[in-house]
Amino acid sequence: MRSRTTGALAALAVTAAVSLSACGGGGNAADGTTELKLLTPIFEGESGKQVLEEELLPQFEKENPGVTVSVDYTDYGSLNEKLTTSIASGLVPDVMMMGVGWIEGFADKGVLQGLGEFGIDYDELSDEVTAEVLDAGMWEDELYAVPIMLDTRIGIARKDLLAEAGFDEPPADWEEMREYAVALTERDGDKLQQAGLDVMTLDPRQMFEVLLFSNGGSLFNDDLSAPAFNSPEGVEALQYVVDLVREDRVEDIGYSSADVDTYPVVNGRAAMMIGHNDVWVKAQASNPKVAEQLVPFMVDGTEEAMFHGGTLVAMSARSQEKEAAAALLEFLTSAEASLAASEQRGNVPARTELLESDYVQSNPMVQFAMENLDKAHPEGGVPEWLEIRGDFAAAVEAALLGQKTPQEALDDLAADAQAAMDRS
Amino acid sequence: MSTTAPHLDAPEAQTAPSAPPHAPQSRRPKPVARVVLHVVLALSALTMILPFAWMILTSLKTPADLAQFPPSFLPEDWAWSNYSEALQAAPFATYFRNSMIISVGHTVITVVFGAMAGYALARVQFRGRELIFLAFVAMLMIPTYTKIVPQFLIVKFMPLFGGNDIFGQGGSGWLDSWWALIVPGGLSPFAIFLFRQFYLSLPKELEEAARLDGAGELAIWARVYTPLIKPAIATVSLLTFQDSWNNFLWPLLVTTRDDLRVIQVGLAVFQQEGTTQWAYLMAGTTLATVPMVLLFLFAQRYFIQGFTNAGIK
Repeated sequence: MRSRTTGALAALAVTAAVSLSACGGGGNAADGTTELKLLTPIFEGESGKQVLEEELLPQFEKENPGVTVSVDYTDYGSLNEKLTTSIASGLVPDVMMMGVGWIEGFADKGVLQGLGEFGIDYDELSDEVTAEVLDAGMWEDELYAVPIMLDTRIGIARKDLLAEAGFDEPPADWEEMREYAVALTERDGDKLQQAGLDVMTLDPRQMFEVLLFSNGGSLFNDDLSAPAFNSPEGVEALQYVVDLVREDRVEDIGYSSADVDTYPVVNGRAAMMIGHNDVWVKAQASNPKVAEQLVPFMVDGTEEAMFHGGTLVAMSARSQEKEAAAALLEFLTSAEASLAASEQRGNVPARTELLESDYVQSNPMVQFAMENLDKAHPEGGVPEWLEIRGDFAAAVEAALLGQKTPQEALDDLAADAQAAMDRS
Repeated sequence: MSTTAPHLDAPEAQTAPSAPPHAPQSRRPKPVARVVLHVVLALSALTMILPFAWMILTSLKTPADLAQFPPSFLPEDWAWSNYSEALQAAPFATYFRNSMIISVGHTVITVVFGAMAGYALARVQFRGRELIFLAFVAMLMIPTYTKIVPQFLIVKFMPLFGGNDIFGQGGSGWLDSWWALIVPGGLSPFAIFLFRQFYLSLPKELEEAARLDGAGELAIWARVYTPLIKPAIATVSLLTFQDSWNNFLWPLLVTTRDDLRVIQVGLAVFQQEGTTQWAYLMAGTTLATVPMVLLFLFAQRYFIQGFTNAGIK
C-alpha cells in the first residue's frame, strides 16, 4: 500500500516536472466540428448569458459552420487566477477577455497570439476604433488584443448645485475646478454636508491617473524602462488632490469609497466628482430627476484627459484552431457584439461608428466619453503592471493622510515598481 | 437529536477530588450581578445580530431607498421583489444543489477520515507519531493561495482521468468533474488536530475494557470512543460545511461549466468591477445564509461544547 502511494506521488512529481505539451482549449471533436473555448469576465449573470449564448454566439456559429463555442464565465476579481492556473496547466482558452493593462504581461510571457498574421492589424482597425484605445492591445509594436467595451473616468458635475452657487458651466480647468470645489463645499460646523469635489468614490489609483494624465504626465517613460509617475507632473497632480483634501477640505477622508451603493453626486452629498461613466445609469435607477442634472466635463490641467479601462479580446498562442479563434475574436469585437456588451453594463462601446447608436445617444455620459476617446489614456504599459498597480492605492492614501509628502509617496512607489520591473 | 450531554470529563477531572456540592444561594448570582450580566449579554447579542438585520433590511430596499442619506434603517417601500429578481439573475437552484453536494461530501469525508486520523494520532502507539502530528500542525500554517496552483496541477494531471494517460498527459484530468470539487478540499489538518485533542481527553480504561471484551481497533474507534466525541463531530461538521459552503475560488478555477458552479459564484454576479448591486447581493446572501443558520441551530449545543472542550491538553 505504502509503496503504491509513493509510486503514485513520484509519478505525479515527474508529470508535473515534464514540460507541458502544447494543448489549447479547442480542438476537433469526434464528429469533425471545432470547439472553441471562450473565457469571459463580462456577459455575467442570466441576462448576460442570454445576450451572449442566445443572441450573439448562434449568429457566429451560423456564419462559421462546424464551429461551436463553449463559454467559461468568471468575474474580474478571479480572472487573473483563472488565467494563471490555465496557463500553468497548459489548458489555455482559445479566446479570452481581459482588462486594460493586462495584455502586456500575458503577451510578454508568450501566452497571447499576435493578430497581424490573421489580418487583424492596427492600421486597418484605427479607422474603426480610436487609436488611443487600440494602444491598450499593443505590446512591442504588435497588436495582441482588440477592445470590446470601455469604461472611462471623467469629471461629473450637478448643474443644479452649480447654479445655486452661481456657476453656469462645469469647471474648464484645474484652477477653476479647485475654485468651484471650495465654493461648493458645505459644512455644518465641522460636519461635511456637501463635498465640493468628490475624489473618494473611485479607486485611488484611477483617481490619481486622471489627474496625472490631465497634467501631461505618464505612468512609464517612453522606452518602458522606468516608472514616470513620480515625475514633476505626477507629483504636482498628487499635490493638487492632497491640497484639495487637506488644505481646502473639499472632502473628508472616509466620506465616500469605491464600493458605495450610491454616488454622493446622486444623493446630494457632493456637487462634483471624478468618476465612472456609469453614474448616469445609477442615477436613472435611483433618482431620474437627478440624472437630468448631471453634466460631464473633461478634467484639464495642462491638457484635457480622461482615464479609460475596459475589456479586450485576445487569443491563445497555443490554440489548435487559430483561424476559428481569430474569427471569434473579430466577431466579438464587431460593432454588434460591442454594443450588446456595453448596453448590458452601461458602458462605452469601442467602435466609433456606434456613436450614432440609440443606446449611446440616450446616455449623455457614454456619449461624452465616446466623443472624447481621443483624449483617453489607458493604464499599464509594462508586463509587471498587474503586480505594480496594487500598490498605488496605499501610496495615494498615504499622501492624502499626510503620512508622506506626494513626492515621498510617489518616489517610494516608483522604487517598488522599479524593483518589480528589474525582477522579471 | 440526543438530549443528554455526553460524558466528557478530561482525565485530570477524573482524578481530581470531587468538589463539595454548592450551597443553593452561592449557585445563583446576586440580582445586581445578574442584571449586569444580562445587559452585557444583550448588548453583545445585539452587536452580533445587527449586521444580519442590516443585511436583511438592505435586501428589501428599493434603489431610491438605498440612495438616501443618511441611510434609513427600515425600507420605505418593502421591495420583496428583490428576492425573485435576484434569483432570476443566475441559475441559483443548480448552484444551491451543487454547493449542497460539495459541502455534504466534504463534511462526510472530513468527519470519517479526520476522526480516524485523529484517533490514530491520539491513541495508537507507532513510531514517528509525534512527527506526523507536527507535520499536520505545520500544514495549518500554509496559506491557501500558495497551494492553489500546485493543487490545480495535481488535479489536471490526475492519471487515467479525463482523457489522461498513465502519466497524466493528454487530457484534462479531474478538471470539470465532481472529483476536483470534492476530493481536494475533503480533509483538513485542522479537523484532524481537533479530533486528536478530543480523543486524547478520553480515559484509557474504556479502551482496556473493550480490548478485554475482544474488540478490535476499528470497533474501539467506532463503537467506544467516537460516540463520546459528538461535540467534536458537530464542531468539525459545522466548520467544514461552512468552509465548503463559502468556498468560491476553487470551484471557479476547476470548472468551466455552469452546471458545476456553486452558490458563491452566483452571488459574484451582483459584484462586478466598479459596481455592486447591494439589494440583490444582500437578498442572495440572505438566502445563502439560511442553510448555515439552520445547521447551527441544529448543532448549537454540541458546537459550543466542542469549543469549550477543545483546549489543548
